[in-house]
Amino acid sequence: MIKLSTLFWLILVSATGFAMFAVKYEVQALADQLVQTTGRAAEAEHEVRVLDAEWAYLNRPDALAEMNQRYLSLAPIATKQLYASVADIPLRPAPPPPVETVAAVAPASAPPLQRPLGATRPALSQAAQENPPAQSAAPVVTAALDGRTAAPEPARPAPVKVAFRPRSSPRARSLDALIAQIAESR
Amino acid sequence: MSAVRQFGDNPCRPRHFKPPPCTPVIPDGPAKRALDGCRRRLSVAGALFLGLFLVLAVRLVQVTLLPGNIAVPKIARFHPVPPPLPGRADIVDRNGKLLATTLASPSLYADPRQITDAADVTRKLVAALPGLDRAELFAKLTSGKRFVWVKRHLTPDEEYAVNQLGIPGLQFEREEKRVYPYGNLLSHAVGYTGIDDNGLAGIERGLDDQLRGRQEPLQLSIDLRLQYVLHEELQRVVDEFTAENAGGLIMNVNTGEILAMVSLPDFDPNHPDTPDPQHPNIPVADRMFNRVTLGDYEIGSMFKIFTTAMALDCGATTMTGRFDATNPIHIGRFTISDYHGKHRWESVPEILMYSSNIGEAKIALAVGAERQQEYLRRFGLLTSPALELKEIGKPHYPAHWREVNVMTIGFGHGISETLLQLASAASALINGGILRQATLLKLPPGDAPQGRRVISAETSDHMRELMRLVVQYGTGQMVDAPGYVVGGKTGTADKVVHGRYSEHQVRSSFVGVFPMTAPKYLVLVMLNNPHGTKASYGYATAGWTAAPAVGRTIVRIAPLLHVRPVDESSPAIALGLMPASLQGKRIEAY
Repeated sequence: MIKLSTLFWLILVSATGFAMFAVKYEVQALADQLVQTTGRAAEAEHEVRVLDAEWAYLNRPDALAEMNQRYLSLAPIATKQLYASVADIPLRPAPPPPVETVAAVAPASAPPLQRPLGATRPALSQAAQENPPAQSAAPVVTAALDGRTAAPEPARPAPVKVAFRPRSSPRARSLDALIAQIAESR
Repeated sequence: MSAVRQFGDNPCRPRHFKPPPCTPVIPDGPAKRALDGCRRRLSVAGALFLGLFLVLAVRLVQVTLLPGNIAVPKIARFHPVPPPLPGRADIVDRNGKLLATTLASPSLYADPRQITDAADVTRKLVAALPGLDRAELFAKLTSGKRFVWVKRHLTPDEEYAVNQLGIPGLQFEREEKRVYPYGNLLSHAVGYTGIDDNGLAGIERGLDDQLRGRQEPLQLSIDLRLQYVLHEELQRVVDEFTAENAGGLIMNVNTGEILAMVSLPDFDPNHPDTPDPQHPNIPVADRMFNRVTLGDYEIGSMFKIFTTAMALDCGATTMTGRFDATNPIHIGRFTISDYHGKHRWESVPEILMYSSNIGEAKIALAVGAERQQEYLRRFGLLTSPALELKEIGKPHYPAHWREVNVMTIGFGHGISETLLQLASAASALINGGILRQATLLKLPPGDAPQGRRVISAETSDHMRELMRLVVQYGTGQMVDAPGYVVGGKTGTADKVVHGRYSEHQVRSSFVGVFPMTAPKYLVLVMLNNPHGTKASYGYATAGWTAAPAVGRTIVRIAPLLHVRPVDESSPAIALGLMPASLQGKRIEAY
């Protein structure tokens, strides 16, 4: 009976002893790791400080001005350029009048240089099909272009490809609003 | 028993002596009770200890065999070494740009006794560290000492190069060094530190204690971009008119924040004591002198805005009041005359527009000595200004305030002020009448310090109209910053040379505020002893020197400050800033 309990305690003591040392060594290893990590962190922090200072030094206004002179030649914005804001810049003109009128004025003046925002290619072709006179207008324009007499300025041929797919969303009031609209739709 | 205790306890007991054996105790009545009591206590104590050991055992099992679900002790028994913190907080501008920082920089030293081939080491080190003197280094390395500095404060590249050499006997010592990336740009505002990291000038000195005791950077009200613009424009005008020195500042009139502060000539805070390579003749003390806060100057006609404001505020005159500026005033040995006088009766707006000394002297007389002193004290022009710097000058004014003093102070002679307090007081005149203390520290957005009212809001409105007139029709027409509705006042003072007013040396200054419709920012520029040029037809007066510099500065800084140009000829602005007495009348230009 006594022997059995002694054995029990002996095993318990050795087990706890083993466990204790295991924990101790584990803690030591972790502590070493902690010291190393904090050391590395401090080193990195110092490097960041050096880089910050260097970044500030490289961004000295006089150095930037010199580099601007050398590579960019940007000039300060003149006061007269600041009277208007981006919001004041109008968008492209409103959608063109119906195709008949375009056809009617086409020989005299150049066709619209740029495709208006709201115009859609299907709508145009549809309109052209509905209005036979529109089709006859095309050769007139070409003739005028060839002759270079009727058109006051050389007109570019109307773009064949639609640059972007028109959206059903309402027309933007300003450039800022348009940018916001595009950002929203993405 | 008593015998046993006696002998057994006696340490002096002879070795051969043994006490007689105890007689066995047969427990009987009282003794048995006593023994039973002992056993009971013993078992209780045993049970207690058993319980404690069980707790320990359970805890041990819990800690070792069951991972996780243990509360992490709040206090770690192991304290890791905290990373070395910089001994001094960084200084940043109002947008967070780094103006001053502390870097641990390695300094290289050698133990000459460990160096075997001094000639070879010298050759390698001179190649790796440019700027070392070969003969001096060789002498150091062969000195036989145990410690010699090779070079203090190496750059990271140099440190790497030396490490690459791998020479035994060379060691690094970590030292802290204050670095100012922008060099001369902020010399007077930020200041510099000495070898022991103690602040010796500027904010570094003024807020030394704060900088030592904190980790987070100290944010100044200075805006680096504005500082650069002001520095460049001031340097340009100094060079153009070969002025001796100059000072300038940009202030937010509604909060008192100083957005830029430049004093020329300046110094490089990284090497404050070394002479400037471009101007080696300028003494160091001259370059360190802060002309914005420490120097006090007779500012001349700019002071007329204060005289006019106090006269309007105390009711000594009105916007329609007129004074005789036909003839010079002779008082004692002085003669007060006008520079480009109209020689006629002038109204109050005209006196300021054409900067009439005679008229302003008469306005000052109408105010009187007592009220003049009271108002100047209220404007903070008779006491030292307060700022976070230690380099603060104090105004000088006559001890006995005689009639002649009243007159000369009326147009800014016989009293000297620092530019800082002039800027604060001028801000108060046009911001609605509230004087706020100037500061170099950034205030939280939308937060203006509690000021105190020095003039009524109505007088302030009049001052805005008057200063706008000066730029539109008067001496400040060359400001030329269309669209920003600038108002201001020129000041050209004769300099005192050898105790007498000089005929040829002047001090030109201009204070400009924009936009006058809702004043936001003030730009003040002062030039000492500028010389006229061909382009200025020989004039060195403020209208030709300081005013254009302020105008150029305003045109460049307004977009940075989100001030948009407006159409100055629109009726809302043109009529809104026109004094009622002059509306619809033809105004004679200066």
